Amino acid sequence: MSTLKTRYTLTQSQKMMIFVLSMSLYGLSNMFTELIPSVQLGPIELSVEYFAFIPLTLCMLFHPLYAAVGAAVGEVIFGELMLGQFGGLGELEKFITFSLAMYIAGRMVSDPKNRRQVGIAAISGVAIHQFCSSVIDIAKVWVGVEELEAVQGLAESIVIIEGVGFLNDVLFSGILFALLPTMYLVPRLYGKIEPLLGMKPRERNMQYASGSKSWLSPKLLGGAVLLALIAMGAELLSESGWSIGEFELPGAESHEGLLIWISMLAAAVVAAAVIAVVLRKASRRRQEAGQLDG
Amino acid sequence: MVEAVKRALGKISVEHIKLELLGTAYNSSSTFLGRLDPRMLLIWYLFFAITPWFVYNRTILLGMFIFMVVTTVLSKVSPYIVFILCLGLVSQIGWMFLLSLFFGGGAESLLPMLTLTLKLSVISLASITVFSSLDPERLSDGLSALGVPDAFAFSLSYGYRILPTLLEEFHQILLSFRLRGQRPAKHGFLYLRTAAYYLRILVLVFYPLMLNTAKRSRTTVEALETRGYTYAVNNPKVKKLRLSYLAMQRRDWLFVAFSAVYISLLFPLGASFPNLLY
Amino acid sequence: MDKPLLELSNVSFTYPGAEQPVLQEVSFTLQQGDFVAVIGSNGSGKSTLCKCFNGLIPHYYTGDFEGELKLLGESAEGKRVSELSRHIGYVYQDFENQLVRPTVLDDVCFTPLNYGLADYRERGQRALELTGLSGLSREFIWQLSGGQKHLLALAGALAMDPDILVIDEPVAQLDPQHARQIYEILRRLNEHHGKTIVVIEHHAEFIAEYCRSVVLMDGGRLRWQKPVREALTSVEELLALGIYPPDVTRAAWLLQPDRQAAGNYPLSCEEGRAWFGRRTAAVNAADPANAWSFAAASSDGAPAVPTGAAARAATEAAVNLSAAEPIVRMEQIRLSYRTIHKTLQPVLSGVNLELYAGERVALIGNNGAGKSSLMKLIAGITVPTGGTVQVKDITVNGLPPERLSDIVSYVFQNPEDMFIDDSVRGEIAYYLKARKLADMDARVEEMLQAFRLQELAERDARLLSGGQQRRVSLAIGAAVRPAVMLLDEPTANLDISTKQEMTRVLEALRGHVETVVIATHDMALVAEWASRIIVMSEGRIIADGDKEAIFSDGQLLRRAGLAETQLMEMSRLLNLPQICSSLKEFTAAAGGRKGELVHGGSR
Repeated sequence: MSTLKTRYTLTQSQKMMIFVLSMSLYGLSNMFTELIPSVQLGPIELSVEYFAFIPLTLCMLFHPLYAAVGAAVGEVIFGELMLGQFGGLGELEKFITFSLAMYIAGRMVSDPKNRRQVGIAAISGVAIHQFCSSVIDIAKVWVGVEELEAVQGLAESIVIIEGVGFLNDVLFSGILFALLPTMYLVPRLYGKIEPLLGMKPRERNMQYASGSKSWLSPKLLGGAVLLALIAMGAELLSESGWSIGEFELPGAESHEGLLIWISMLAAAVVAAAVIAVVLRKASRRRQEAGQLDG
Repeated sequence: MVEAVKRALGKISVEHIKLELLGTAYNSSSTFLGRLDPRMLLIWYLFFAITPWFVYNRTILLGMFIFMVVTTVLSKVSPYIVFILCLGLVSQIGWMFLLSLFFGGGAESLLPMLTLTLKLSVISLASITVFSSLDPERLSDGLSALGVPDAFAFSLSYGYRILPTLLEEFHQILLSFRLRGQRPAKHGFLYLRTAAYYLRILVLVFYPLMLNTAKRSRTTVEALETRGYTYAVNNPKVKKLRLSYLAMQRRDWLFVAFSAVYISLLFPLGASFPNLLY
Repeated sequence: MDKPLLELSNVSFTYPGAEQPVLQEVSFTLQQGDFVAVIGSNGSGKSTLCKCFNGLIPHYYTGDFEGELKLLGESAEGKRVSELSRHIGYVYQDFENQLVRPTVLDDVCFTPLNYGLADYRERGQRALELTGLSGLSREFIWQLSGGQKHLLALAGALAMDPDILVIDEPVAQLDPQHARQIYEILRRLNEHHGKTIVVIEHHAEFIAEYCRSVVLMDGGRLRWQKPVREALTSVEELLALGIYPPDVTRAAWLLQPDRQAAGNYPLSCEEGRAWFGRRTAAVNAADPANAWSFAAASSDGAPAVPTGAAARAATEAAVNLSAAEPIVRMEQIRLSYRTIHKTLQPVLSGVNLELYAGERVALIGNNGAGKSSLMKLIAGITVPTGGTVQVKDITVNGLPPERLSDIVSYVFQNPEDMFIDDSVRGEIAYYLKARKLADMDARVEEMLQAFRLQELAERDARLLSGGQQRRVSLAIGAAVRPAVMLLDEPTANLDISTKQEMTRVLEALRGHVETVVIATHDMALVAEWASRIIVMSEGRIIADGDKEAIFSDGQLLRRAGLAETQLMEMSRLLNLPQICSSLKEFTAAAGGRKGELVHGGSR
């Protein structure tokens, strides 16, 4: 029997516990948020988008990968399948972006007792997720509407709607249902919930078993970009050549396809860049905080 | 809107959700589609979830839409879900239309968006048809036969097992908060105070719930260990045994054949009359 | 009973981070065909011991493990939990969490399916037959009652056809009838199907009736392993560890505490009848003048017993008050809920009830009789389908629960459902804080003191022991200073010594609360505490009266699906003039002149 050293190692069953815990809790909350009606103020929708604080908290307290994936599975099962609202493939993109964002937020926290760090990670988590899904939503319309450019004002209005939606989700849902509750819960649960699962609490600067030297490992970043690309790819497969082109309108221009591909690529690059910048910034802050503490 | 909140909160009653969700989920095998082979249905769904994105021919889309409406009726989906779906589609498209008017667009921008709506409807109806027709067990077996990780398949049916328990517990804790808390005396501007009170409790409930669920997950995972779950995961033979009951039957072939014929007729039709609709 | 099925030799185990080992050099042999009860106080290592059997320790719970485990003559070293579990079925104390599939048949087939056994369906069906659940195979788990869920957990373990069954506290959450049902099934498995059974059990009466041998754990060590008679008659030793032998045995011990007599102590009512019969004969032979002693002793003795006196006083108080306004008034209450088949299932039908100040009301009846529903109606948690509920002249029907919480407080069956803060102090203060009461701190202190929680005030209530959690939940309810306090099964899941403590804790409620209502099937609690007993069955009140009236009607209890306590049954068997509810009363009544017998009376 090996004893726990500085490395944060988990047994297979402990990973399973985190997964089950995250899945059931976030799934349940998702069921409620699906049922809570939203307030429409014009195009701006004040809605309780999701209780992001649940996966955020769990990602910060436990191994973020299992908590993040567990939460995403929970959402699909409780919030979609059970309520009969499963969107099929469309959920794939949500699944990937959401677990990615939660995972990153979890990795951003090295000391669960540091409220500032927790807060920054919480809001970044939401921002990353909302940004990715906004980009994907825009892309969806792009793909779904032929001759988008031909329709006056459509492109602008989509960007505006998504932009407003993004801001609303980050500022309203993000602050009320991610930032504040997470900052309240993480320090309170730290050291308390872990023994219930038979684990040791994460310690400050504890390393993950994945073997990465620093929390911002090239592996993570690479994985993040890759996942982002996959997420987009799942959504955008459509434009590729294997579409049922023969049956398309005779006048469908080949240019359009190319154009869309270029814009998609650009979106992916932007998304990756933003993620990288956010992460770097947070890392710098973390280092600063560390220096202050030290 | 406040009434809506109240009603929604009222709906978060254990019994209601138990009856509505779980009851209907497992009653679905009585429908025609529910008896079909889940693997076949899932592949059928994949077709209708992907193809519409590449089809710009309105006649074809309309044909698909009609087919989807028929299957939706066959699968006896609850009208509530269909209503929610329509509402979502209409409001999304509606706002887009209004805003594009604002940016100088005209009524002509409505048409491409109608096409988009048609696409989205086909895709959504396909998913509703399939996923509400399959009971959770058949769905998870179908997914697992198509190569989705076993952990997901297990979680799916575990979700249905644990939901009533979680709801019960949630309800009890919520009740504790309400019994010992104090509702705001006045509703406040736009009922904001009352809404804030409930939302705050809703969030706070998760603190005890997290701790209690943590305890529960520990026993559950421990029990899984004693019940051979890890053995099964590492043993492909077990999966084979579990899925051995899945078999394509005559009605499955008939359904596939009908769909194939319908679709293959639809495409030439659409090519000849692309503007049947508008 | 020949070959050892399982052998532990010199096993020690320490949880990671813990100072003290939970098991210290435990050696234990389990014989084929045995029916073993593991007893010991809380934290003595009972569950830990049983978790060594299937390798959960040390494979699942990592920690420092020493010693050896042999299963079926083979060393278990290097074998995984899943391999060992093929031979050992384990039923947890919180068995509900071990049911992982949505429907009954699915769940029971889960284990054999996981092991890739092609006949998993037949195995599942057979296990359901063995536990009497065949008719329910298509039901959902959430439709089952607590007792059925427990049987299902057992069936799930049986489906693998294991050699050994380990059951952690089989009857803790069940009413007496269902508890007996479980044990009858276990006996059949043991006698007809050759299963070796290990139970962790607090209830000595069940051990006496069903088990063959007993293992006593104390502070992580295995103190002894003895045949059941020898084990349970070591009354003094067990009591010192907070373990309570059956009431008859204790009564006999009280009357005749010498060591030679120990071997003859009765373990069941049948034996008790013979034992006390012999005693009386012996006493009467020694002193013929006292031949009438039963009647005389009891009529003299009863008033001297404090609980009897208190009950009488309370009844008088109630009589005086009944002229006054009732605190709770229920008229023609009906309640029904919708089932999955869209039919209406009646829970309560036409209940009329009035409760007065100063009453200590026990609501008894088996699971599903409608006790909890009745209390929830009073608390305003559920809305009646028909009829009206009034509490202190406020019509409750449909009021939001926040409105009523100043008058009625409801203490849930599961204390954890009431814990919403992170310290005991916080829990008690929550209500007072929400109302910004001025005397908040004083009231919290008062409650902490009344329920002996001062030392635990800053601890998280979830991490306390079962008895401590109960005290916290009562303190939370009492802090409100309600007119009516409703307690749902306050002694469920408690071990016997904690149960006995509860009676005292309930006394602490006096002065804070006008009327207390308890729903329970713990007849010992009812007998010691209640001033008024309401018997419910199938949604109706079938009897309402004081202790004497209710307990003297043996038919009534059976009709309500309840079991008499051993003392009650003994009182009836011995034709005592009064049904005794406490050991003191009983020994006084059955022993005749107690003092004389203890000192001089031996054959």
